[in-house]
Amino acid sequence: MRISRRDLLKGAAVAGATTALAGTASAREAVEPRPEAVGMLFDATQCVGCRACQTACKRANKLPVDLETGETGGQYDAPRDLNSTTKNVIKAVEGANGPTYMKQQCMHCVDPSCVSVCMMGALHKEGEGKKKIPGERAGTGIVVYDKNTCVGCRYCQIGCAFNVPKFEWFDAFPLIVKCELCRHRADPKQEGLLSIANPACCEVCPREAVVYGRREELLAEAKRRIAAAPTRYQQHVYGEKEGGGTQVLYLAPAGVSFTQLGLPELPDRSQASFSESVSHAPYLHGVTPVALYLGMAALIARSRKKEEAAEHREEGK
Amino acid sequence: MSAHDHPKAIGGSLLDRSMLMLLALFGVAAVVMAYRFFAGVGPVSNMTDGFTWGIWEPVNVVVFTGIGAGAYSVGLLCYLLNKGQYHGLVRPAVLVGAIAYTLGGSSIMIALGRYWNSYLLPWVPWWNLSSALLEVAICVIVYVSVLWIEVLPSVLDGAAASRSPRWSAIGKTWGPRLAKAMPYIIALAILLPTMHQSSLGGLMLIAGPKIHPLWHTALLPTLFLVSCLSMGFGAVVALVTILNLTWNAKHDPKLFADMSKVNAGMLLFYVVLRVADVAWSGKLRFLALDFPTFLFVAELALFLAPALMFLSPRVQRNKGRMFGAALLAVAAGAAYRVDAYLTMYRPAGWTADGKPIAAGWNYWPSLGETIVTVGMAAIGVALFIFISRKFPVVVVEDVRAHTTVGSGPAKAVASR
Repeated sequence: MRISRRDLLKGAAVAGATTALAGTASAREAVEPRPEAVGMLFDATQCVGCRACQTACKRANKLPVDLETGETGGQYDAPRDLNSTTKNVIKAVEGANGPTYMKQQCMHCVDPSCVSVCMMGALHKEGEGKKKIPGERAGTGIVVYDKNTCVGCRYCQIGCAFNVPKFEWFDAFPLIVKCELCRHRADPKQEGLLSIANPACCEVCPREAVVYGRREELLAEAKRRIAAAPTRYQQHVYGEKEGGGTQVLYLAPAGVSFTQLGLPELPDRSQASFSESVSHAPYLHGVTPVALYLGMAALIARSRKKEEAAEHREEGK
Repeated sequence: MSAHDHPKAIGGSLLDRSMLMLLALFGVAAVVMAYRFFAGVGPVSNMTDGFTWGIWEPVNVVVFTGIGAGAYSVGLLCYLLNKGQYHGLVRPAVLVGAIAYTLGGSSIMIALGRYWNSYLLPWVPWWNLSSALLEVAICVIVYVSVLWIEVLPSVLDGAAASRSPRWSAIGKTWGPRLAKAMPYIIALAILLPTMHQSSLGGLMLIAGPKIHPLWHTALLPTLFLVSCLSMGFGAVVALVTILNLTWNAKHDPKLFADMSKVNAGMLLFYVVLRVADVAWSGKLRFLALDFPTFLFVAELALFLAPALMFLSPRVQRNKGRMFGAALLAVAAGAAYRVDAYLTMYRPAGWTADGKPIAAGWNYWPSLGETIVTVGMAAIGVALFIFISRKFPVVVVEDVRAHTTVGSGPAKAVASR
């Protein structure tokens, strides 16, 4: 195939335009916590492991018990971990000063991986999904689930660094199960926070080891507690920055690390921001695919014409 | 091989022993799949909340479509670089692509928990464009249609030469019409795999903390794109060699040598990218006497070996050695893909020095999962055999030894 000067010029123009666009296609911006966002603060120094929250969660969400049979008979609701019938679980870490208890449920990330990967926005920040769902209000930052747009691909489970979303493996018509901050228990007649959500776990906790509130206020409260008793706490609020920040915040006692409690070490940049930046960059807001298609169609059509011309010449001989 | 070689339907018995065996394998898989729709995914698989994709996504989708990328690889050579001598490879490669992608898509429907909602996927307003999986899903749905449209010329050629006047008329009218539209379809057939094959790598970007650092990199999309090309070229050489041995398909050693040199370039490019990326991002410290390092080195060796073989004249002259090298090229890409999706995936993540963090989940594919994967592969092979027997897909060495459908009006009349 001979390349003419005009082709070269055309190629150079396309390459130049592409480079210019590549320069302007910036990385996806980091998601900041919404000012109205709500969440929870769990203070591991306060929890005595009574598991009242676990039971209350099951009742509030109409989840079946997770039966274990004891050696001498008798059955116990004793979930070992989060699962498709358990949205909230208490775990224990043995330490020098006795056990430390850990509460696990959805972290309601500021920039959640599950929301970033969900194909049609079945998992979405309340009121910010692709599909408009009546009754949802934007700004709370609660990660909620819409079963009607979920295809059950389980990509959320791959994405979530906390392994929170669970799948009903033994059901012909399964759902994704995870904590939605008891948004369904909100009371529209109330003013303020309780009109948004009303987590059953926070309502029943006898020691206020877990409290519900605005993320901003909870963060301030967590810092106040650390400042008031610096020897009592790890000098760190987990969830302020981890993975782009979470709306559920954690305080750990001095001498027990957050990784011991089962919280992963994560960079400050959310995985969603990294993944979306890398994936979107080559697309240049959709210019690349269109340009690529048109370029190729033209090229193929032209080489076909040449080929036909060559064949005709051959036949004419 | 010149552009004037015409593919022929192979003919012969449709239900021979190998076909019955393939159908039996699929039959067993069909039972497992049917059971899954009544009992859920759990009872037939070892998938858990920790290893939620098992082997169906990494093998049935990611590896099958890598093999199916032969259509993309040959298409690039043939249409974009205008190497007309590869025309004879297009039809078999496209047919394999159409089958592999269809099976990948069907496997997903088995794996999806709430498959009945997937009819909503074409509804654009609900598209979450941040989701690499959405892009893969949409691209694959469109590409499967494009591939079957690309298979159509074979069918229409077959129809045009049919004894039935009605079929013949359909073939004769629609064949040329389709030929006119073909450039715009082929352009799609090159754009779409470029997008979704890189997105298959991009899919794992979000799983950052869960993938071993030697596999998790911003280059995942690039490495997946390159590896689909090397797998595709390898798959086409392997396929045509098998077709040559069984059906006396035209086998042009010179052409294969040329194409495999391109593949050697792809394989070496992959190795350079992979090693440079690991070195550049300061990940050499993860190399140690452990399982991840062993896999990393084994993968690189799998990519290097066929590359060096393809470049050696001794291999190029020998059909068997070329076949071996081609299979290695497919295996290399498959190994890389399965490692990135499954082998090096740990739900609780990896420590800062690259050791897996213990979690309660372990995974090894169940019998049911394996049967579905094998059954899907079997029905793929069966479909290929069926279509190439009935329709002109494969270019054969000696036309006279074979029958009839699509081999021209004279033949059709003679066999009446």
